[in-house]
Amino acid sequence: MTSTTALFISREDLIHLLEELSGTLEVVAPVLVGDEAAFATWRGEALALDDKNPLASPVEFFLPKKEVLFRYVQYSGRYTFSEDPPKARLIFGMRPCDLLALKVIDGIFGADLSDLPYAGRRRSTIIVALNCTSPGEGCFCRSMGSGPVAEGGYDLLLTDLGRGYLVEAGSPAGVYILRAHHRHFEEADIEDIKEKERLLALAGEKMIKRGPFPNPEKIREAIDGADWEEAGRRCLACGGCSFVCPVCHCFSVLDQGVPDGERLRCRDSCILSGFSRMTSGANPRPDPGERLRHWYLDKFVYIPEKTGLFGCVGCGRCSRVCLGEADRWSFFREATE
Amino acid sequence: MEKIATICVYCGCGCGLVLHVEDGRVVGASPSPAHPVSRGRLCVKGWLAADFVHHPDRLKTPLVRRGERMARVSWDEALSLSARRLREIREESGPDSLAILTSAKGTNEENYLLAKLARAALGTNNVDHVARLCHAPSVAGLGIALGSGAMTNPIRSLLSSDAILVTGSNTTEQHPLVAATILEAQARGATLIVADPRRTQMAELADIHLAPRLGTDVAWTNGMLNLIIGRGLIDEDFINERTEGFSALKELALRYTPAAVERITGIPPGDLEKAAAAFGEAPRAGVVYAMGTTQHSSGTDNVLALANLVLATGNVGRDGTGIYPLRGHQNVQGACDMGALPIFYSGYQKVEDPAARRKMEAAWGTDLPATPGLTAVEMMEAAEEGRIRGMIISGENPMISYPDRGQVIRALRSLDFLAVADIFPTETTALADVVLPVASFAEKDGTFTSTERRIQRVRRAVTPPGEARPEVEVAAELLRRFSVTADYASPEEVMGEISSVTPSYGGVSSRRLGISGLSWPCPSPDHPGTEILHQGSFPIGRARFYVVEQQHLPEDLDYPLFLTTGRSLFHFHTGTMTRRTHLLDRERPKATVDINPADAAALGVRSGTMVVVESATGSLEIEARLTAEVPMGTVYIPFHFAEAPANQLTTRTLDPTSKIPGLKRTPVRIRRADG
Ligand code: SF4
Ligand code: SF4
Ligand code: SF4
Repeated sequence: MTSTTALFISREDLIHLLEELSGTLEVVAPVLVGDEAAFATWRGEALALDDKNPLASPVEFFLPKKEVLFRYVQYSGRYTFSEDPPKARLIFGMRPCDLLALKVIDGIFGADLSDLPYAGRRRSTIIVALNCTSPGEGCFCRSMGSGPVAEGGYDLLLTDLGRGYLVEAGSPAGVYILRAHHRHFEEADIEDIKEKERLLALAGEKMIKRGPFPNPEKIREAIDGADWEEAGRRCLACGGCSFVCPVCHCFSVLDQGVPDGERLRCRDSCILSGFSRMTSGANPRPDPGERLRHWYLDKFVYIPEKTGLFGCVGCGRCSRVCLGEADRWSFFREATE
Repeated sequence: MEKIATICVYCGCGCGLVLHVEDGRVVGASPSPAHPVSRGRLCVKGWLAADFVHHPDRLKTPLVRRGERMARVSWDEALSLSARRLREIREESGPDSLAILTSAKGTNEENYLLAKLARAALGTNNVDHVARLCHAPSVAGLGIALGSGAMTNPIRSLLSSDAILVTGSNTTEQHPLVAATILEAQARGATLIVADPRRTQMAELADIHLAPRLGTDVAWTNGMLNLIIGRGLIDEDFINERTEGFSALKELALRYTPAAVERITGIPPGDLEKAAAAFGEAPRAGVVYAMGTTQHSSGTDNVLALANLVLATGNVGRDGTGIYPLRGHQNVQGACDMGALPIFYSGYQKVEDPAARRKMEAAWGTDLPATPGLTAVEMMEAAEEGRIRGMIISGENPMISYPDRGQVIRALRSLDFLAVADIFPTETTALADVVLPVASFAEKDGTFTSTERRIQRVRRAVTPPGEARPEVEVAAELLRRFSVTADYASPEEVMGEISSVTPSYGGVSSRRLGISGLSWPCPSPDHPGTEILHQGSFPIGRARFYVVEQQHLPEDLDYPLFLTTGRSLFHFHTGTMTRRTHLLDRERPKATVDINPADAAALGVRSGTMVVVESATGSLEIEARLTAEVPMGTVYIPFHFAEAPANQLTTRTLDPTSKIPGLKRTPVRIRRADG
């Protein structure tokens, strides 16, 4: 058995495998919460893999919405500090778009001076990805080059063939799992591999009408030419587009508690006016439209300059949550037509 | 990481959200995609709903006043002391010297038990809550006109409307998910009419914006009716078959000609005509309103005028039609349903009705008082006069949210005993003799009932901090100390009791409540709930038109401006939770008074100038903000801020029917602080 060989696992064996893995790791998988799939610690319940990609991206397991950077305790005028080690985790069922989002964030939090809490979680997490055979209505991963087929960035990769999953390893950790738990796997035959190719081609075709890969120059032009005032008039300032985005990563840091307490890092959002307002009260981006323009510029100009990748992976979540009913994809479509 | 589906704690939209819990702490929230209202979306408060839960300021132990200090005590001591003091006061001055204010932030189960505590244990109907300050006029007005004070249709119904009239509602900031639904309807072709003196975002996005002078709502509503009748756009079949009293209304409407309406309201006749035509011609039209309609000394009249409008055009009982009083708190509907009102048991059964009383006496195993109790604002007056001597306040902060703050301070200071239950220290807990630390929405099980009558499950995601407890347990403990049986193993058992005594909740049980909850009336276990009210008939048989006249508005030359108050998108009420949510407080860190640039120029005021706002009841120093969002002659202050409490200025002029104070129109004057 080598890492390039594809294996096959039945649905029942997959559950057995996860049960075994959850003996040593926290297994996170999509399960039903309030009738819809969400990533949470798996405790043997039914997996919710047929549903849309969960609204809350598993990127939150690497960049939590709120984390304690450290605790401080004052004793006789002296401070002592403590922090928690990262958890050993396995994330099961991460989709290609979220995988690419992680790669973009690697380019930001992993570059130059690497961010220690992020790097720690990155190192201690195993990723079992799932190719997208049934993309959601609002997804445009193909246009952004992230899906529906995962390309790297995983330890194991699964493709749903109906009667079970085709499994491929993408890292030494993946190979190790395949070997250590070999009795749950069987060799895939050539038909299985053909079936995978067929299903993924089909998924790709479904997305073709969602437009070609955007041309950066055209996007820049579209951003410059868009009516941001009108966009801002319709924005209800929910911040959802940035809170839900797997690539958005802005945070603020605050200390809570005197004299003992915690230093917290919390998700922040450039859509909120307080994000850019300065202590003097002056705000370089005073209007919602200007803030939205910045949001697009960051994703399509600034992040690519820094990482070589777009700051958008086409997961479609920002359109799903928008209270002002802004359909981002129509913007891109216009930009690329 | 665990994920728990529950309901947002802030506004009446009642959005479904998922709490993200890591190692026993709530670390985030995200929208529930399958929920019928949120459909995968939330407003900014919802996205950040989890942020205050573990704030270090949380109350963690019961406290008892010892002179100027508050001492930590055990629950047993705090509760026994409370029970003893309340009993002593009752013996000296009778049961009506006691009162309870419950909380629209509490669950149905909590409100039910606190109302039971007032009636069955203390022996008084003096129980009320913040609904007095928001939708008492809806309960009173829609109650007599349609037979039910609640929203007639679910929020989603607006998607099928052809015209939507929004009045007295800053919807994008106060009920963002309703606003999103309305804007979705507009995008599908509905005409959006917004009546608001302020140029809110909603007004900005409207197809037709009417900007009436403050307090002239009856006039323009009657004026629309005048035009609708004149153009033959009334629904005669509906009027004949399902209503009574139309002829008197017709006569009244005749007098509200566009010219007369313009004199009173300042609305140009052309605008009024456009609005009347759009509303009258629409096959399906709905009216959405909120505090801008009710918080007036003519609040009930305002509501009745709107009811006339929907009845005359036959816009009741069908999808896409209806009247939508938007409830402020996530459970203010439920608190009313549960009988946290001085004249009603749960399900709006009157305390004066001997049959209802006998039923409740049998259920609770004790005698119950027959006379209606005092309303919230009346309680404060009675407290100042010494007629009320002991009070329990659960989760309310009247020091900031009630009108005429100076009077509230005097009232609460006059009490011989005050117990306050809350999650954070507030301006009100500061005056308490006993402070009881209770669980937040993320720490308890139960149900909330949203503005659309949707009864939904709230789930415990984490344990309360320190010794804090869910209020169901606190209320049950107190009931037992008054020898009333209260052996509830869980909030579900309380719901069992609620459904056994409340016909409209008769079929509700926690087990039945899935992601979509159930809308009342739901009389039996196999009943699917009722999303649209009044489909075949009204609870009162025929709906009634009421003749309502525009009140004369006296001018006061000493106070030439009018102050109106409201809330910001980023804060909720007295800010107990939102001001402890870092990103929300950063959005709106301080209070300002909004002044029209023309008024400001006359006063010599610029943005950032400190000004003094004075009314007959008090004065306030506050920073000015210049904006054309407010028309000339009107100024606006959000009431969240303890540093500049807007209610220092407001008065207690009450609406005669519903006893709501006229918070939305206080005569004031303004001068520069340094001048
Ligand atoms: S910008 Fe929108 S579509 Fe792109 S990655 Fe973020 S949430 Fe997904
Ligand atoms: S999701 Fe839509 S409404 Fe919300 S902040 Fe973003 S653009 Fe505005
Ligand atoms: S609209 Fe209301 S219920 Fe929904 S998230 Fe916002 S505050 Fe919560």
